[in-house]
Amino acid sequence: MGGSDTRGAWHADGELLAAYHDQQLDAAARWSVEAHLTSCAACRRQAGALVDPARLRRLREALIDAVDLPRAGVAERLLVRLGVAGHTARLLAATPALRGSWMLAVTAVLAFAVLAGWTHPGQDANLAFLCVAPLLPLAGIAAAYGPGVDPTYEIGLAAPLGSFRLLLLRAAAVLGTATLLAAAASLALPQLGPGVAGWLLPSLGLTASSLALATTIAPLRAIGITAGAWILAVAVTVLPPAPSSVLFAVAGQVAFAALALLAAAVLLVRRGRFESDRGFDTTPRFAARRLR
Amino acid sequence: MTTPDPTVRVRDLGITFGRTRALDGVTLDLVPGVTGLLGPNGAGKTTLLRVLATVSAPDSGSVQALGLDPGRTDQRLDLRGRLGYMPQEPGFHARFTAFEFVDYVAILKELHQRRARHQEVRRVLELVGLGAVRGKQIKALSGGMRRRVALAQALLGDPDLLVLDEPTAGLDPEQRLRFRELISRLGEGRTVLLSTHQTEDVVALAQQVLVLHLGRLRFAGTPLELAGLARGHVWHSQERDPGALAAWRTGTGQHRNIGDPPAGAELLEPTLEDGYLLLLGGDQVEEAAA
Repeated sequence: MGGSDTRGAWHADGELLAAYHDQQLDAAARWSVEAHLTSCAACRRQAGALVDPARLRRLREALIDAVDLPRAGVAERLLVRLGVAGHTARLLAATPALRGSWMLAVTAVLAFAVLAGWTHPGQDANLAFLCVAPLLPLAGIAAAYGPGVDPTYEIGLAAPLGSFRLLLLRAAAVLGTATLLAAAASLALPQLGPGVAGWLLPSLGLTASSLALATTIAPLRAIGITAGAWILAVAVTVLPPAPSSVLFAVAGQVAFAALALLAAAVLLVRRGRFESDRGFDTTPRFAARRLR
Repeated sequence: MTTPDPTVRVRDLGITFGRTRALDGVTLDLVPGVTGLLGPNGAGKTTLLRVLATVSAPDSGSVQALGLDPGRTDQRLDLRGRLGYMPQEPGFHARFTAFEFVDYVAILKELHQRRARHQEVRRVLELVGLGAVRGKQIKALSGGMRRRVALAQALLGDPDLLVLDEPTAGLDPEQRLRFRELISRLGEGRTVLLSTHQTEDVVALAQQVLVLHLGRLRFAGTPLELAGLARGHVWHSQERDPGALAAWRTGTGQHRNIGDPPAGAELLEPTLEDGYLLLLGGDQVEEAAA
């Protein structure tokens, strides 16, 4: 099957190379041809001529692409598996709220709140949890979006993907994660019953309000004010001798549902405000991310 | 010589932050090629660039870029698809590699098809000479390389309008030279507006110069015309001339004076820097002395 040239060296002939190219050879013959090709430029040229250049280019690009492929974290892979488009998953994965460390911190806070209920049993055993849970999505959004926080905020503003869309995507990711974790944690509360879901509507109401407020003032300030208002409301309504808070009673829940709807409407109407920097300082402020 | 049609028209632009009038009645045209924007700190350069990059919305006046009005939502999005912007202080996700960062911006630029997007990311990284280090984390790159990463993201999608805020700041002379080569190549057939503190950058690169001072446009013309402003206002002397607006000792040991020369002074051929300093007058001299 091989041939000799004038110097007596062995060369693969056209027929053999064609069979190799068409993957018609058995394993032993294939290896021997490959071993020869690595050391013989003439046969490499001949074998190379058989290969379709377009296919070769495609393979090369696929190879380079595979090498460059950004490393996807657990959350990103999960999102893709859940049917989220690859590029959307990438945008979301850059949100700190989808990092393992963040979820761990949220879980720890929730666990402490649950624990507080178990160590101080009584009528208000669930109260610490109900008060803390609505603050978590606010903290997540504070860390995920806005001038000074998102390192690519300014570049993002100049990009066609609307800043409002990015905000909604991230808020949804943050709210979704925090809600899932809080829902799971609430099953461990000392007093099970419909009351364990009392944090859900305040959580929605506060998140929507902070975003609506962010159409007027800087996002971080909006979140600070909303969180402050919640803490104040909790402090005022929970003060002894009240064993629980009106915030988690029917009246409070209805109020938060209404607040969430109202804030969502304001957000929708004023969404255009997110499309420019509005004079806010966009300098990335956090040392770890501030690379110049 | 025929002047090409302007690609960017700015009319009577005004923007106020708090009590500061950052831009005050700025009117200018940009044509294809490189335009250098000069001005001291706080002149409004970054504000002007941000308005052109659609990041800031002006209080008054109008902008038309590539035939589009960024004041209208639909046209603003179209414009964003055709412009590249390099901010003065680009932030990076430090964990990202150069490739991941530019890929992330490419997603913001709505390049959704993964294979094509990655090809484009590789193209722009090659263009700025970072093809070989694209897999390195940004925090491991030098300052000059990071600026090139920031430039690379601005080049995604081959934009018709490039807005670069101090692209050469903090670069050593060799890096600056490479940046200049790259930017002058980019200026062929595109509209490039870059701000800088370096008059040498403008001399080396720009076909047009703008000078902004205290929110107002003080000059628009060619580098030669800016230098020409100082014709008859630059002279040699053995000692610093007390009547000069600015004076400094040069390598020859003589003093170079700018201002209104005394009678019989030995006049010198003005440079662009002379014209710039003369234009800004006393304020700039004080700043230089500080």
